[in-house]
Amino acid sequence: MSTDGRRHHLLIYLVLGTIAFSAAAAFAWVLNVSLKTNQEFLGTRPWTIAEDFHFENYLNAWTNADVGAYFGNSVVVSISATVLGVVVSAFAAYPIARIPFRANGAVLAIFLMGLMVPWMVTFIPLYLTLQDFGLLDTRIGLVLVYATYNLPFNIFVLTGFLRTLPRELEEAAAMDGAGPTVTFVRVILPLLGPGLASVTIISFLNNWNEFFYALVLIHSPSKMTLPLGLFQLGQAADYGTNWVTLFAGMIITALPVLIVFALLQKQVTKGLTAGALKG
Amino acid sequence: MHRLAQRRIILPFLLPAAVLLALFFLYPLVRTVGISLSDWTRTGNSRFVGGANYTALLTDPEYRTALKNTFAFTFIGGCLLFPPAVAIAWALNQPIRGEKFFRFVIFAPVVLSAAVVALMWKFIYHPTLGLISPAMAEVGLGGMAREWLGDPLTALPAVAFTTVWQGIGIWVVLLSAGFERLPRDVLEAGRVDGAGEWRLFWSVMMPLLYDLLRILLVLWIVQSMQAFAFVYIMTGGGPFGSTEVVGTLMYRIAIDQTEFGYAAAMGVVLVAILLAVTAILNKVLKRDDLEY
Repeated sequence: MSTDGRRHHLLIYLVLGTIAFSAAAAFAWVLNVSLKTNQEFLGTRPWTIAEDFHFENYLNAWTNADVGAYFGNSVVVSISATVLGVVVSAFAAYPIARIPFRANGAVLAIFLMGLMVPWMVTFIPLYLTLQDFGLLDTRIGLVLVYATYNLPFNIFVLTGFLRTLPRELEEAAAMDGAGPTVTFVRVILPLLGPGLASVTIISFLNNWNEFFYALVLIHSPSKMTLPLGLFQLGQAADYGTNWVTLFAGMIITALPVLIVFALLQKQVTKGLTAGALKG
Repeated sequence: MHRLAQRRIILPFLLPAAVLLALFFLYPLVRTVGISLSDWTRTGNSRFVGGANYTALLTDPEYRTALKNTFAFTFIGGCLLFPPAVAIAWALNQPIRGEKFFRFVIFAPVVLSAAVVALMWKFIYHPTLGLISPAMAEVGLGGMAREWLGDPLTALPAVAFTTVWQGIGIWVVLLSAGFERLPRDVLEAGRVDGAGEWRLFWSVMMPLLYDLLRILLVLWIVQSMQAFAFVYIMTGGGPFGSTEVVGTLMYRIAIDQTEFGYAAAMGVVLVAILLAVTAILNKVLKRDDLEY
């Protein structure tokens, strides 16, 4: 038993150690390159530590390579879309979950359909529809699309959460003479806190990282979000010689989400995992 | 009285979400079918052509190659994903030190943008500036190093590996929840009977996790058949079309060549294939519930 136990302990740490090492090495390498000069990047071996820490690469990326502008766009678009999506779905989830009417089930099913249909079928008509509305290549268009694509997951989570609240809440509020809207805002919303927090975190992460719709719908460099701008920067680095700036840009893009993740590991893990199961 | 008042808020509460969904999801969805039945010109005019786009697909060698690559991507990625994901999930459920650290590192890539991870790995694979080939040269395996993304033989597996590297955290969490739910008394009984961990893993844990694995397999197929971002950023479909999947081909046909109708037809066919594959898999892999 004890030799067997020790042997399989070794195996456990081997499995976990390899994977953790590869991930950590990749991140460390990006960080290291982002602090080198282009000459160093070309001339030294990849695991040689940067001679001096060239933090000016970050300044360069931020101003000369427009990463600052992309960052601003990403902040505006992700926050607007997240807030819009969460507010709108909190209102929609309430009657679906707690007011019995004839079409409850059907309405919920239509919203959840969004979880199952692959983007493959919708990107072309979406492009044309935004063109019709004059929203192609605008940040507002991207915000509306992101908010819409956040809805199914938000409503799925929030209706589930609302159903766990005690039935008597509304009756008690009505006894006190509160109308349904006041009841929702004063009684239900405060109790919905944890549910709202988790859909906000997940929506924000998804919107911050989204690449495909940004690629399809945004064409002007001045309106690009970070993932798209970074991709453009990567294309340019293929033909140019300014790699370290790109690496600094990668760190700038990754850092905010890694911080969110470090602070909220449990909620993020749970939320993203539930999001993956939606299919 | 209070029920009646409640009914009055149903519509206004639902309306904003419903409008968004209708405009940016339901309407485009319905419109796809119409688009796939028409021919678009660069000026934005369209005319109805019936099933012409679909019949053209049947003989299109590019679409056939893209489908083949999509299946290859799904298969290779699945082989790269499941064994390590199961191993990691199993390891995380053993009594270990530093569980929190390992969970953090394994899940961290999931929260990054596909764009960041794809760019990062594009450089990691670089033959001289990257990490892999120089490291191989260092330990004397330089002869086996290649231009990973530039070689039609290795490009698709390399992209599949990167996709798996980013997403594996999700699968580990799902599998590890499965390991946690395994009945402890059954495992204990096995140990008392003298079964080693290896034996327990294959004869008890894997059969009990069969349904979860089946669901995850279908999930992987659905996800990987829509692959786009990693392929588009890392190789753009090249070299020589060796990584062109349906997603990237559709994007190229639709956006670069403005052949909206033809691209929409590709999408509809892919979804149909997807539905068929998952239905067949669900049927084939379904087995009678085990009783323990």
